[in-house]
Amino acid sequence: MEIDRRGLLKAAGLSLLGLVGGSVWYVISRAKLPEPSPTPKTLVGKKWGMVIDLKKCWGTDGCTDCIDVCHRVHNVPRFGNPKDEIKWIWTVPYEKAFPEHQLEFIEEDVRARPVPVLCNQCDNPPCIKYCPTKATWRREDGVVMMDYHRCIGCRYCMAGCPYGSRSFNWKNPRPFIKKINFDFPTRTKGVVEKCNFCQERLIQGLLPACVEACKERALIFGDLNDPDSDVRRILRSRHTIQRHSELGTKPKVFYVL
Amino acid sequence: MAKRDLDLGEDKVLLEHVRRTGKGFYITFSILVALTLWGIYAYLTQYRYGLGVTGLSRQIFWGVYITNFVFFIGISHAGTFISAILRVAKAEWRRPISRSAELTTVFILLFGVGSVLVDLGRPDRMLYVIRYPHFRSPLLWDVICITTYLTVSSICLYLALIPDVALLRDLGEKRKWLYQVLALGYRGTERQRHLLDRGISFMAILVIPVMITVHTVVSFVFAMTIQPMWHSAIFGPYFVVGAIFSGIAAVIVAIAVIRKVFHLEAYLKPVHFNNLGILLLVMTLLWFYFTAAEYVTVFYGSEPGEMSIFWSKLTGRFSLLFWIDFVLCFLIPLPILAFRKTRTILGTFIASTSIIIGMWLERFVIIVPTLTQQRLSIERAIYIPTWVEWSILAGCISFFLLLYLFFVKLFPIVPIWEVREGREKSIVEVGERIKTYLPGGGKE
Repeated sequence: MEIDRRGLLKAAGLSLLGLVGGSVWYVISRAKLPEPSPTPKTLVGKKWGMVIDLKKCWGTDGCTDCIDVCHRVHNVPRFGNPKDEIKWIWTVPYEKAFPEHQLEFIEEDVRARPVPVLCNQCDNPPCIKYCPTKATWRREDGVVMMDYHRCIGCRYCMAGCPYGSRSFNWKNPRPFIKKINFDFPTRTKGVVEKCNFCQERLIQGLLPACVEACKERALIFGDLNDPDSDVRRILRSRHTIQRHSELGTKPKVFYVL
Repeated sequence: MAKRDLDLGEDKVLLEHVRRTGKGFYITFSILVALTLWGIYAYLTQYRYGLGVTGLSRQIFWGVYITNFVFFIGISHAGTFISAILRVAKAEWRRPISRSAELTTVFILLFGVGSVLVDLGRPDRMLYVIRYPHFRSPLLWDVICITTYLTVSSICLYLALIPDVALLRDLGEKRKWLYQVLALGYRGTERQRHLLDRGISFMAILVIPVMITVHTVVSFVFAMTIQPMWHSAIFGPYFVVGAIFSGIAAVIVAIAVIRKVFHLEAYLKPVHFNNLGILLLVMTLLWFYFTAAEYVTVFYGSEPGEMSIFWSKLTGRFSLLFWIDFVLCFLIPLPILAFRKTRTILGTFIASTSIIIGMWLERFVIIVPTLTQQRLSIERAIYIPTWVEWSILAGCISFFLLLYLFFVKLFPIVPIWEVREGREKSIVEVGERIKTYLPGGGKE
């Protein structure tokens, strides 16, 4: 069989088109995966929030119960160096948590006191806009979620978060987890993670692990949509502050002094 | 092609580097291959152990790779600026340099894209960007713009290559089969010439807005966040200016080397370096203007978050890099480029080299300091890039040069048809054109 040039070019063009078209179709046809949906009965109409009572928190010196529990149940690895560090809840000195306050008139020891910080679960979370693959999103009940299986590790959400709430797995974290909790997924190297407000516990009707662990009851958790909830009661009766509320992120972690 | 067209005359020297392969080629080739392989080895190390092998940390999570990304994409603006804008502006002197400019654009773009991929924690998932696209993310705007730019500038390069490929085919050079395929049956008939000219003109106009969007969108990666000293409306134009700035410098370096190595002194003349040098001078001043505008605004506003980064650049931990950057991008090139006496081949070469290094540093100094002192930074993080990052940078540059070298082995780097067209047609055309500027003369 003779193939002339034109015929060859046509055949080549068609097969190329088929290849490209086929792969595009493969990609598009698989794009419509179902959205992960929360259990409706526990979450609809709720909006979770937390109040941190610093006076109570400062009651015991050097207490790290909330941090230890959180990191244990969520398989957060311990690297022992600030470079690789991963943290969901941790403490920063008061002056770093609230740098906009008139620090010069606050006593030295208050300025250095530890303030627990975690993901603020913002109502208007800046981080989720930046994700190129929708690996992070805000759920109906306000929890800012993270899909470790979709994250490509570009770390743009970390640049988007003004609170530094997100951590990246620089190494394979599994060897650095003391004792793996098999009820919660571990992560691989190369993905971003952060506090999830214990959504795995909320679904079961449990309080977040840090709230439950605090002996001083300095962490108060509840539904911000329910006027009778503990958090709403405190928001009504006490003066609360949020970290960098001027950025318009609407944090749902409040602090009382 | 007609017999007359096959007689190259003095232009024969333009094919010399395609026809003859000397010892120098093999030496350069081996060095570049070795460096490229070293870069690949470094990447494989990173792929295996994770990004922890870099100097990046929880707080300074973007570093050399993102700097490379911005820098390489910046260099890629050279081709378009020189070949497209000068073509549209009918600057006749562009002819011998247009191809090396376009080539720089296409090849360096590949490494701009590559740098982002190298930076990914999960490169195996990179196609998720297409499978689960989130169009609110500036990174996706990047994907779209850069892909478009790569496509358009590759077409530009290719279209302007066709007549020369046809010439090589008709001359019966080695690898005739390749030229046969690539020439697409171009015979240089009047109609084909006309169509090709229309095609090139159209692409030249199309590529200009694409180029501007590309670097604007690259700047948006930073400007769209609310991080201090990134969140700035000046970033779009600032990055575009910086890109053209470093791009022109890269082309000057490229043609200075090509001129020397391939003995093309008769084609790449001092006037080309002088004219490019003037363009570079304009960009130097523009770069200074934008830099000054940005820093003065920040300083006067004195917002605390921004000020801590401002001072870390001017007097703090990044001051050494910042001021080296300033010297390399401004203080060294400005006097060299400002005077006719120093705007020589050597002078523009030195100024350009200085600018290229300076612009890499500039990108670094834009990206890293903001991360060290974000609004709520806790520890004063330190970032020292490791051997992996430097090796990958070296690998990228070597691989780029290697691609360039391959191209030069296959095709003439000075477009023969453009030079001939200039000689045969444009001299008359330009004369006619000038007459139309004058009272009474010529057709409108």
